[in-house]
Amino acid sequence: MGISHWPGWARALLNLALVLLVWEVVGQFQLVASGALPPPSAVLLRLVADWYDYPEHIAATLYGAGVGFLIGNLVAVAAGVLFALYPITSRVARGLNVAIFALPPIAISPILVLTLSDMAPRIVLAALGCYFVTMTATVVGLTQADARAVDVVRAYGGRKWAALRFVQWRSALPTILSGLRIAAPNAVLGSILAEFGGGGRWGLGVYLLGSLGRAEPDRLWGIGLVATGIAALAYFAFAALAGAINRGSQAVTVPSAVLSAGDKPRPAWQQALIIASSVALPFALWWVLLAVLRVPSMIAKTPPGLFEYLFLLPSAPIAQGKLLAALAQTLPMTLIGMVLGLALAFALALSSQIWPAIVRAFMPVALVTQTMPLVALTPLLVLMLGRGPAVILWITISVTFFPAFVTMAQGLLQVPRAALEVPKAYGAGIYKQLRLVSVPASLPYLFAATRLTVPRALLGVMIAEWLATGTGLGNLLNQSRGYMDYGMIWAVAVVSVLISVLFYQIVVVVERRTLGRLGMASAE
Amino acid sequence: MASGIALRDVSRTFVSRGQTTEALRSVSLDCAPGSFTALIGPSGCGKSTILRLCLGLDTANAGTVTVDDLPPAEATRKGITGVAFQDAALLPWRTVEKNIALPLDVLGLSLGDYRERIAELIALVGLNGFEKALPAELSGGMRQRVAIARSLVTTPRVLFLDEPFGALDQILRKQMNIELQRIWMETQATTLLVTHGIDEAVFLADRVVVMASRPGRISRIIEIDLPRPRDPALFNQEHFHALERQVSEALDGH
Ligand SMILES: Nc1ncnc2c1ncn2[C@@H]1O[C@H](COP(=O)(O)OP(=O)(O)O)[C@@H](O)[C@H]1O
Ligand SMILES: [Mg+2]
Repeated sequence: MGISHWPGWARALLNLALVLLVWEVVGQFQLVASGALPPPSAVLLRLVADWYDYPEHIAATLYGAGVGFLIGNLVAVAAGVLFALYPITSRVARGLNVAIFALPPIAISPILVLTLSDMAPRIVLAALGCYFVTMTATVVGLTQADARAVDVVRAYGGRKWAALRFVQWRSALPTILSGLRIAAPNAVLGSILAEFGGGGRWGLGVYLLGSLGRAEPDRLWGIGLVATGIAALAYFAFAALAGAINRGSQAVTVPSAVLSAGDKPRPAWQQALIIASSVALPFALWWVLLAVLRVPSMIAKTPPGLFEYLFLLPSAPIAQGKLLAALAQTLPMTLIGMVLGLALAFALALSSQIWPAIVRAFMPVALVTQTMPLVALTPLLVLMLGRGPAVILWITISVTFFPAFVTMAQGLLQVPRAALEVPKAYGAGIYKQLRLVSVPASLPYLFAATRLTVPRALLGVMIAEWLATGTGLGNLLNQSRGYMDYGMIWAVAVVSVLISVLFYQIVVVVERRTLGRLGMASAE
Repeated sequence: MASGIALRDVSRTFVSRGQTTEALRSVSLDCAPGSFTALIGPSGCGKSTILRLCLGLDTANAGTVTVDDLPPAEATRKGITGVAFQDAALLPWRTVEKNIALPLDVLGLSLGDYRERIAELIALVGLNGFEKALPAELSGGMRQRVAIARSLVTTPRVLFLDEPFGALDQILRKQMNIELQRIWMETQATTLLVTHGIDEAVFLADRVVVMASRPGRISRIIEIDLPRPRDPALFNQEHFHALERQVSEALDGH
């Protein structure tokens, strides 16, 4: 009996055992960067020896991540309900939503540390990490509820809220739970990144950063494993909950989409008004928040304050020069890393159509990385790869590759077998099949993956620059923290968010054009 | 007790992605209280649109729709109407009983008062023993029967059925037709049935309304003068076939 007949969990265990074995051998013989990758046994021993330090660090990170998770998801579900019930609100809030999705958390971490105190920065960053995922899941879940069942409720005079109460929320529950599953590691990541930004003695991020300076790879790996363990635990807890809720109540018919809209589009001036308010909203919120928090104006830059710093003050040309120089270092790295990560993921996902076995073996590993606060593990990569520019590329590729691969491979799994078999029935070989069916079918997922990886790539580069290479935007941010150059801290934060949003928006436009021409729908 | 359906010069045009579809152009139709009307026509001729307008699920661009002399939104909120669609549209997490009770929940009626009614309906559609089953545990035909029971739970005075037996096999459909006739004769509900089965329309209706598409409009109304109660032996009679031919010719545009 071959391994391919084993149940899934047994094969996963076997894979895990193999990985551990290879890791042990590689570690024992110091094959990677002369001992930067210690064997798992050494990591475990060190973990036991250090155990006395852990509880307080874990508790602090858990507190920040947990409270942030709670607040972020509450807001996200409420916002999702609002957006689903009143679609116009979702169009007005689009700018804000994209900004929250695209913002590299590391960029605003120093600002949060400046303007808030104690645990608040961690909570905010953790909450921000949860918001977009859960909000999107809520909207998708609510709007994809069986339209016919909603019609039944409405046919008995039920309004939006009745449809929500009797049909939509319950049918959205599995989708929301799978959103929470992804949000959980994000919350841990958010808390740790805020800890990188400073403030506080406790937290796994503080511990990680503190241990980076000393040459103690085994301790760094131990902290990384604990952080991953916490995130994975939360991930699987929500996965199990979703499984329990879905049991026995799967939808019995494929929900048939009822064409919505069907009426005349809004006049152009209304469209313009919606877009304008969508762009203005994030800036307005930034301003209002500063006013409400009463942060001293020297520390907190409002939009006009930032404009003054960058364009009007005598020091403006110097500031501009620094910023542009940093951008010139960061942007090419981001693009190259992203393209490489995506290309690799695309190639591997496509090869799943030719050699399904390879990918079936690889998929569990890729899925496990979904539960890792990957970017928080950057110190480990720094340790292994040194502080040269190569480390930037490796980090960026690794943070983009895995999510992109998972998105595309799962998308390709949904290509109906029948569609693949039609060209085959006419004698097409595997490459022709790929060209005719798989590649076009995977396009929506390629775009979805690209949208997903834009902010991750920038985040990866900036963290690498901050922690390792001392170049680009990441370094400028870190330096400005040291010089207390508040204007520059704000400038870097705002510019990196704007760049990320711009990238994202470009992808969205190209996606709409391309998929529209091919008559395809975009994948969530 | 007036409880008819009335459409006066109703037009509905859809605009989607730059294309306009005249789903209905100036449609007028009166269904007398207690009558059984069948709507038949090529797909896309606006049959479902008529039902959706009557149920307040959509609004007309011109003309008026009344159900029981009330605007649709008011009639539905009063619990006067019942509805079943082509797909059962059951909630997968509710048991058969609870699915049948959904309209009561929406209308804010007390479930306690309807316990017997629900039990009766379950017996009527032949689902005894399946009260606590989830939709996933039922066959397609059984699910559709749950949807029929659900449409009857409020004892509606006006009943809308949009191809309710479209997904059932021929044998089951005939059975359900006989059941539906019995239910209709017992309740005397004004019924509007959308179907694409000519035999079904002739067997059940007092009047068959034949529609044509582009733009969606009524092309002919055929009175069915067969005596009631009608029984399955009818399917073999010459007069029945003659009526079927009339409908079929009207569909072909004669
Ligand atoms: N919401 C909508 N948006 C755009 N077009 C619609 C919508 N609903 C129905 N239509 C169009 O109106 C026409 C009539 O539809 P319908 O009433 O569903 O036909 P049928 O007679 O098959 O039930 C069709 O051409 C359909 O495409
Ligand atoms: Mg229809």
